[in-house]
Amino acid sequence: MKKILKYLKPYWFVALLAPLFMIGEVLGDLMQPKLMSKIVDDGVLSGSMDVILKTGLTMILLVVAGGICGVMCTACSVKAAQSFGSDLRCAAFRRVMEMSLQQTDRFTTGSLVTRLTNDITMTEHFVSMALRMFVRSTFSFIGGIAMMLTLDVSFALVLACALPLEVLVMVIMLKKAYPMFRIVQKKLDKVNSVMQENVTGARMVKAYVREEFETERFENANGDLCETNYRVSRLLALISPLMMVFMNIGVIAVILIGGYQVEARAINVGDVMAAITYIVQVLNSLLAVGMIFQMISRASASANRIAEVLDTTPAIVSGSEQPEGKGEVCFENVSFAYPNAQGDPVLREVSFTVQPGEFVAVLGATGSGKTSLVNLIPRFYDVTDGAVYVDGEDVRALETEALRAKIGCVLQKSELFSGSVTENIRWGKEDATQEEVVAAAKIAQADEFVSKLPEGYDTIIGEKGASLSGGQKQRLSIARALVRKPDILIFDDSTSALDLGTEARLQAALRENLRGTTVIMIAQRIASVRNADRILVLENGVIAAEGKHEELLETSELYRDIFASQQHNTEVK
Amino acid sequence: MAEKKREQAPQQTVQMRPGGRGPGGPGRGPAMREKPKDGKKTLKRLLSYIGSSKYLLIGLLAVMLVTTVLTLAAPALQATAIDAITILPEDWSNLAVHINKSLLVKTLIAIAAVYLLSSLSMLLQGILAAKLTKSTVMKLRGDLFARIEHLPLRYIDTHKHGDIMSRMTNDVENISNTVSSSIASLFSGALTLIGTISIMLWYSPIMTLVAMVTVPFTLLFGTKVGGKMRKLFSKQQAILGRLNGHVEEMVTGHKTVTAYGRDKRAIEEFTELSEEMKKTSIRAQVFGGTMGPVMNFLGNTGFLLIAAVGGYLALEGSISVGVIQAFLIYARQFTRPINELANQYAQIQTAMAGAERVFAIMDEPSEPNFGKLYPESIRGEIELKDVVFSYVPGKQVLKGLDLSVSPGQKIAIVGATGAGKTTIVNLLTRFYDIDSGEILLDGMELRDIERDTLRKNIAIVLQDTVLFSDTIAYNIRYGRLDATDEEVRAAAKMANADSFISRLPNGYDTELSESGSNLSGGQRQLISIARAVLADPKILILDEATSSVDTRTEMHIQNAMVALMKNRTSLIIAHRLSTIRDADKIVVIEDGVVAEAGSHDELLAKEGAYYRLYQKQYAGIAT
Repeated sequence: MKKILKYLKPYWFVALLAPLFMIGEVLGDLMQPKLMSKIVDDGVLSGSMDVILKTGLTMILLVVAGGICGVMCTACSVKAAQSFGSDLRCAAFRRVMEMSLQQTDRFTTGSLVTRLTNDITMTEHFVSMALRMFVRSTFSFIGGIAMMLTLDVSFALVLACALPLEVLVMVIMLKKAYPMFRIVQKKLDKVNSVMQENVTGARMVKAYVREEFETERFENANGDLCETNYRVSRLLALISPLMMVFMNIGVIAVILIGGYQVEARAINVGDVMAAITYIVQVLNSLLAVGMIFQMISRASASANRIAEVLDTTPAIVSGSEQPEGKGEVCFENVSFAYPNAQGDPVLREVSFTVQPGEFVAVLGATGSGKTSLVNLIPRFYDVTDGAVYVDGEDVRALETEALRAKIGCVLQKSELFSGSVTENIRWGKEDATQEEVVAAAKIAQADEFVSKLPEGYDTIIGEKGASLSGGQKQRLSIARALVRKPDILIFDDSTSALDLGTEARLQAALRENLRGTTVIMIAQRIASVRNADRILVLENGVIAAEGKHEELLETSELYRDIFASQQHNTEVK
Repeated sequence: MAEKKREQAPQQTVQMRPGGRGPGGPGRGPAMREKPKDGKKTLKRLLSYIGSSKYLLIGLLAVMLVTTVLTLAAPALQATAIDAITILPEDWSNLAVHINKSLLVKTLIAIAAVYLLSSLSMLLQGILAAKLTKSTVMKLRGDLFARIEHLPLRYIDTHKHGDIMSRMTNDVENISNTVSSSIASLFSGALTLIGTISIMLWYSPIMTLVAMVTVPFTLLFGTKVGGKMRKLFSKQQAILGRLNGHVEEMVTGHKTVTAYGRDKRAIEEFTELSEEMKKTSIRAQVFGGTMGPVMNFLGNTGFLLIAAVGGYLALEGSISVGVIQAFLIYARQFTRPINELANQYAQIQTAMAGAERVFAIMDEPSEPNFGKLYPESIRGEIELKDVVFSYVPGKQVLKGLDLSVSPGQKIAIVGATGAGKTTIVNLLTRFYDIDSGEILLDGMELRDIERDTLRKNIAIVLQDTVLFSDTIAYNIRYGRLDATDEEVRAAAKMANADSFISRLPNGYDTELSESGSNLSGGQRQLISIARAVLADPKILILDEATSSVDTRTEMHIQNAMVALMKNRTSLIIAHRLSTIRDADKIVVIEDGVVAEAGSHDELLAKEGAYYRLYQKQYAGIAT
C-alpha cells in the first residue's frame, strides 16, 4: 500500500486541500442543527420572527459556503485521485512492457490485464473516496460528538453505550463478510470460465452432443455462485436493521434524557431536537467509517497486486554495446530450462554458428526445443548456462533494443493487432513507405489476397486478426518481419497454415529477395528446408545431426526417418 | 466499476472466417449507459422473470409496505414525544410546570416498538430481496446459457465472443443489481412519497405546500445535471473500454510487441489514453460532485422555509412545535426518494439496455432440428449432390459439389486454403446447413435425421484443438462420458499420447491451464485424437488434425490411425501429402467444386491438379 501511495506524492498539495475543504463542509453541516435549535427555541417558541429570519439567513449562507467547500473538495480529491491513478497505471503498464516473456508467463496475461485495469481503478477509487469520505466521516463523527456534548454533557451517557456496541457489531459483520467476498470472486471466475469454454469450444460441445452436460455443469457453477451471493447479501442485510436498532435506541435515550434535562430547566427543547440530529449523524458516520475500513482491506488487496507488478525488476537487463556486423549468430554450450519447470532442461549444451547470410533450418520433434532455441536469440529468454553471441557479442552485453532491431521474427502464433493491414505491416518499420509495405507483402505472398480485401491495404483487421484465416495471418506477419529488412530473420514454424503452392512461391521469393540475410527457419516439412545451407536436427534438447539435406540423408538415421515419414516409401527424388 | 468493453463492433466488411477461430476471452470494458429501444416490452419480459417466483415477490412487496408504514409512523411519534417535553418560554421560570412524563414514557415505548418492528421488517425485506435476486439471476443466466448452447454456429462464428460473454456477465450483473436495489427503492420510494405527503397534508396543508416549494427545483436540477452527467460518464466508460482494450491487446501480444521493439510506442499510446481518461473523469466527477451540495442547499432552503413558516404558524398557535419537528423529518424523507429515483433512473436504464441484449440472444432461433429419423446404426455412406453453400449471401464457397463416400472408405480432401475443405466438415456435422443440393447419409437426407443422433455418430478432430480447463482424463473422457479409466488410457495409448501424459508430474490427473497452454500444440492434438478414439464413431473427420504433430510422431500414430479408421468412414483434410497418400480416394477441391478424384497413383498419372500440388511439395521447392 505504501509503495503505491507514493504515486500520490506529486499531488500532495491538492490531496491536502481536499480534506481542508471538507472540514469546511462538515463544519457547515455541524452548525446547522445548532442554528436550527436556535430557530426553534429563540424564534418559534419565543415568537420572534426576527430571530427566525436572521438565523435562517445565517444558515443559508453557511450552507452555500459549505456547498462551495464541498465542490472544491470534490474537485481537489478527484484531481488528486485521477492524476494518481493515471500515473500509477502508466508506471505499471511501462513495467509490464519491460518484463521478459518468462515474467509475463509467470503472471499470466489474464492476471496482468486485470491488474492493469480493475485493480488500478479500484485503488484510484479508494484514494478519491478516502480523501472525501474518510475525512468527512471522521470529522462529522468527532464534530457530532463535540456538538452534542456542548448541548448537554449528560448525552455522553448515550454515546458511551451506543458507540462500542455499534463498533462491535460492525467488526463482527465485516470479519464474517470479507472472506465471503473472496469466495464469490472465485465462483464468478468459475462461471466465466465455463462460459468462455463453451463459446470458444462450441464446435466440440456440439460435435459430441454435450449441450445438456454442459448446461448442467453451468447450472452447478451458476447455482454455486448465486447461493454464495445470496449468503453474502443475507449477511449484509443484517447490518442495516441492526444499526437502525442502535441508532433508534440512541434517539429514544436522547429524548428521555433530554426530557429530564428540560424538566430541570437545564436545556431547551430545541437542543433536544438538535441532539437527535447529532446522534443520528454520529452513528451514521461511524457506519461510514466502518465501510471505509472494509474498502481499505479490499483496496489493499488490489494495491498489493499492483505492487507485485511494480516490484518486478525486469529480468532482461539491456546491455550497452551496439551490434556491429552482418548477422552472425553463435550458440556456445547453451543450456536452457524454463524457470520452475520440472524435469530435464529444454536445451543441453547446444553449440553452433550461423554465418552472415546463411540459411539454417531447424528440424525436430514436437517438444524437442526448437522454439526455445530461437527464443534465446532476441533475448525473449536468457540462457541458463553458456552464451548466445550475435555478431561476436554476447547478447546480454548488447543493447536489447538495437539487438531486436536487427532481427525479424515470425512467430508460431501470428499475433496481429487491431488496425489496418498497412499499420500491421508497419509494425516492422514505423517509417516504411507504402511501396516498402507493398513490396514486403509481395514477397510474403500476401499482396494478392490483401488487394482483394474490400479496402485493400486500408482494410481494418479485427481484434487479433479474427477476420483472417490462419494462412492469411501468417503471411501478414511474415510481411511484417520482412519490411524491416532485418539482418537476421527467424521463422518459428510460421508457414504451417500455408498450402504447399503458396509456401513454394514464398520460398522462391525469399531466396530471391533476401540475399545476405541470415535466415533461421524452424519447420516441420522437409520440403520447406531441403534447400537450406545447413539443417540442424534437434532431439531432446541436443543437436542430433547437422549438415546439408543430401549429407544428412547419408549420415543421419533420424533425418532419414523424418524424411521417410514425409516421402512415399520409394519415391525419393 | 464496470469492466467490460462493449464498443459497438465496427461493421466488419471482411468475410468472417467460418473456422470459428475468433477472439476468445471475456471482453473488458465499460458497460455504457444506454437507452433501451423498446422499454415497455423489455420491462414486461424482465418482470416476468422477476415475477416467476410470485410468492417471493408478493411477500417482498408486502414486507416493504409494512416497513414503509412503520418508517412513516416514527416521525409522528417523535413529534408527540417532543411536544411532551416542550415547555413554553413563558413557563420557563415556573418550576411548577412539568413536562408530560406519562405521555413521554408512553410515546417512547411506542417509538421503541415501532423501531423494533421496522428493523425486523427491514431485515426480512433484505433477505427476501436477496432471495429474489438469487432466483431471478439464476433463472435468467441459466436460460441464457441454455440458449447459447443451442445457438447455431453461424451466430457464434459471426459475433464477437467477448460480446456474448459480456451479456452473460455484465448485463446479467446489471440486471441483478437492479433487482436487488432498484426495485426495492422504487417501490418503497413511491410508498414513502405518497405516505409522507398524505401525513404532511393531514398535519397542515399550508406547511405541506411550503415543504414542496423546493421540489420542482430538485427535479429540474436532478434531471438536467443527471443527463449531462450520464453523458460524461458514458464518455469516460468508452475511454476506459479503449484503455482496457489496449492493455489486453498489448499484453496478450507481448511477444510480438517485444520482438518489434514496439513497447515504447505502446507506452506512448497508453499514456495518451490514460491522460484523456484522466481529463474526462475529472470533468465527469467534479460535475457529479456538484450534485450533492446543490441538493443539500435546496434541502436546507426547504428546511429554513419550514422553520420560518412553521415558526410563524406556531406563533399564531395553529401548529405545535412537535409538528415543526415532524415536518422537518418528513421534508427530508420525501426529498430522499426523489433524489433516489433520479439516481435509480440511470441504473434502471442501464439494466434495461442489458436486459434487451440478453433477450436479443434468447430470441435468436435455435439450431434447426426437424429431423424425425433416429437410425439405430449407421453404415456411413455419404453422398453430396450438387451442394451449394455460402457463409455470406452472394459469396458461394461450394458451387455444386458432388462427392460420394462408401461405408468404411478413407477419403482425403486436399486443396488450397479457402477452397472449401473445412466447409464440408461444417456441413456434414450440420454446424451449417446447405443452401441447395442434398447431402445423404445412408440414403437418408441429412436434414431428416435427428441432429443429436447424427452427431453422436460422427467424431471430429480439428486443427484448433479445444481443451477444457480440467484434467487430461476429463478432456479425453469428453468423447464418452461413461468410459472407465482403463478405456481412457487405452484411447490415449492408441493416439500415442499415453507416453507423454505418463511423464507429466500428475499423469492423467494433470490439470490443463486455460486453453491447455501448458502443452505443446502437437500434444494438444494428440489428446483430442484420443478423445475421438474414445467416442468410437461411425464417421471420423480429421481436419488438419495432425498439422502440429511432427511427421515422425505422426508416422508413429499412423498405425493407430489406420486401426482407428478401420470399419469407419473417414474424411481427412490435410496439407501434408504424407498424411493423405494412403487414402482410398483423394479428392481435390478447387474453387468450390471437385476438380478431380482418385487414388494417389491414378491422380499422379493424370498429371492434373493433384500432380501440380504434389510437384510443388516435392519438386517445386527443390528448384
